[in-house]
Amino acid sequence: MAQTWPAVALHGVKKWFPLGNGRSLEALNVPAWALSAGSYTVLTGPSGSGKTTLLNLIAGVSVPSAGTISVHDTDIFALPEPRRDRFRARHIGYVFQTFNLLSAFTALENVMLSMMFADAIAKREQRRRAVEILSRVGLGARLSHKPQHLSRGEQQRVAIARALANNPPLVLADEPCASLDADTAREVLAEFLAVCREGGKTLLIVSHDAAVLDAGDQVVDITRINHHAHRMSVGEHS
Amino acid sequence: MTILTVALKDLRGRFVASALTAVSLMLGVSLVIASVLIARGIKESFTEGTTDYSLVVGAKGSPTQLVLNVVFRMDVPTPNILYGTYRQLRDDPRVEVAVPVALGDAYQGFRFVATTGGYFAAFPWRRKVFEVSVGRFFRDDAPEQPTYEAVLGAEAARRTGLRIGDRFYEGEELAEYPLTVVGILRSTGTADDRAIFFSLASFWETNEISRKMRVKPLTAILVRARRMSDLPSLHRGLNVSAETQAVFPSAVLLGIFNLLSLAEEVLTVILATVAIVMLLYLFVSLYSATLERKREIATMRALGASRATILGIVLLESCALASLGGAAGILGGHGVAYLGASLLAARGGLVMNLFRMSALEPVVIGSVILLGALAGLLPAVLAYRTDVAENLAPLS
Repeated sequence: MAQTWPAVALHGVKKWFPLGNGRSLEALNVPAWALSAGSYTVLTGPSGSGKTTLLNLIAGVSVPSAGTISVHDTDIFALPEPRRDRFRARHIGYVFQTFNLLSAFTALENVMLSMMFADAIAKREQRRRAVEILSRVGLGARLSHKPQHLSRGEQQRVAIARALANNPPLVLADEPCASLDADTAREVLAEFLAVCREGGKTLLIVSHDAAVLDAGDQVVDITRINHHAHRMSVGEHS
Repeated sequence: MTILTVALKDLRGRFVASALTAVSLMLGVSLVIASVLIARGIKESFTEGTTDYSLVVGAKGSPTQLVLNVVFRMDVPTPNILYGTYRQLRDDPRVEVAVPVALGDAYQGFRFVATTGGYFAAFPWRRKVFEVSVGRFFRDDAPEQPTYEAVLGAEAARRTGLRIGDRFYEGEELAEYPLTVVGILRSTGTADDRAIFFSLASFWETNEISRKMRVKPLTAILVRARRMSDLPSLHRGLNVSAETQAVFPSAVLLGIFNLLSLAEEVLTVILATVAIVMLLYLFVSLYSATLERKREIATMRALGASRATILGIVLLESCALASLGGAAGILGGHGVAYLGASLLAARGGLVMNLFRMSALEPVVIGSVILLGALAGLLPAVLAYRTDVAENLAPLS
């Protein structure tokens, strides 16, 4: 029988931020946590409880102060940084609350940029794939528009297409609908979930939106996994 | 998509700032190129335009003024000497060739030069070759039988539009002595391209004062000694006279070059300052652009761009701006130098060839790109070190 690895596994993960004078703020302490492959998890919790910090750690853009994080059985922080960057590009899609589209690039180029960094899809295929995925999220007619010429809902769709461009098995989303009005948020979320489910992706969303919470396989309150979430502590760490 | 296209699109995304930076680079490079081209052109045109004659003989006064006026048609003419001086030199056994020259007014800014056919004669020691592209040389007419035939320098013919057979004169007082174009010279790349040549007899007849003079006037005599060893005695003999001076054109040129080298040293300091200002401007522009783009850089990093890729993008932006400004500056510099050379040629007799191939342009563009890369290095390192998580945080 084949072994099934969790999509994400955290062991003894801690994150503290230096405050100066040898003191630091401990923001995260997760002894153990895992996400099964193909699951859809909604992460909730009060503001400042470490949700974004946790997402950044799983994405590998922030380095844990202690512990290990594995994504599809790869200890991402055991990789040298350039390989970790490449791993992130190929295996993790990240949707930001404020979209973070690059203003100098069109919708199509924003998506292709992500493929360029991953270098996992042949160059001649990149354009076709970018057009396909943008069309899938309803932006087939907006390919050459720059972010500033798109509505907020369209911008978030571009951000979703960009996160999915390299067909990553893990998708992280930080309050993806927080900047959208209720109707647009509902539409965007439905498309986002549909695309992720079609691809059998593991989805971890930080959200307080009722619609998002309802659609999740599981809802996890960060205060249950982060031992420091309810009592941010200042202390000395070596 | 490649990191070069990303860099270029980033530059286009901040079009106004990028354009202003490129324009400032262009202005700086134009200044450097134009200054170097003009300084080099002046030096070369003095070297190439100088006479092959060993002595220039004229009235007492400034040796520099005599050479500048007679050879380069610059400065104001020196006072006249007498035609008798020419006859003495012509008959002197130490002299191989003596050519009389009288400088008159100008037609549409092109100086009248009265001389004999000897001025155009070819000698084994002469580098300069005079050939007519159309027509013939004027005749050496007898003093009492002027033919009023004129031969135009190539530039003078081109600018005035005069053709063979055309009759022309400058000023109403000369209307009764029109000159007839009988030949047009091939370009020599010297002040002679901008001159209108005709015979001494014609000159003396058209000039009211000289017409009345019993002994006709000259401006100068170009002298070639038969032997080098004869030069000192000729030089001395002509200089002890109360009326004449003899000048070695090479000595005058040396003096001019000494003055020019001093100006060149000052120019080098100015150009070095311009280069530093350019470098600082590029640095400030890229540095502030990098500070403004920290969020975009963090986003690219979150999408999987490595630090090296980000470093490469910023350096490429810097090099692209430098290349663009440098290339435009080289074109602009040639344009400014061309205008400057035209102005100098119109006011004086320096004819510059600015468009010959040289190492200047590749050296300048290479240096500008290198300086661009240097200016982009710190912003690139700043981008390289951008903290991703910190800069991804939603804006408040």
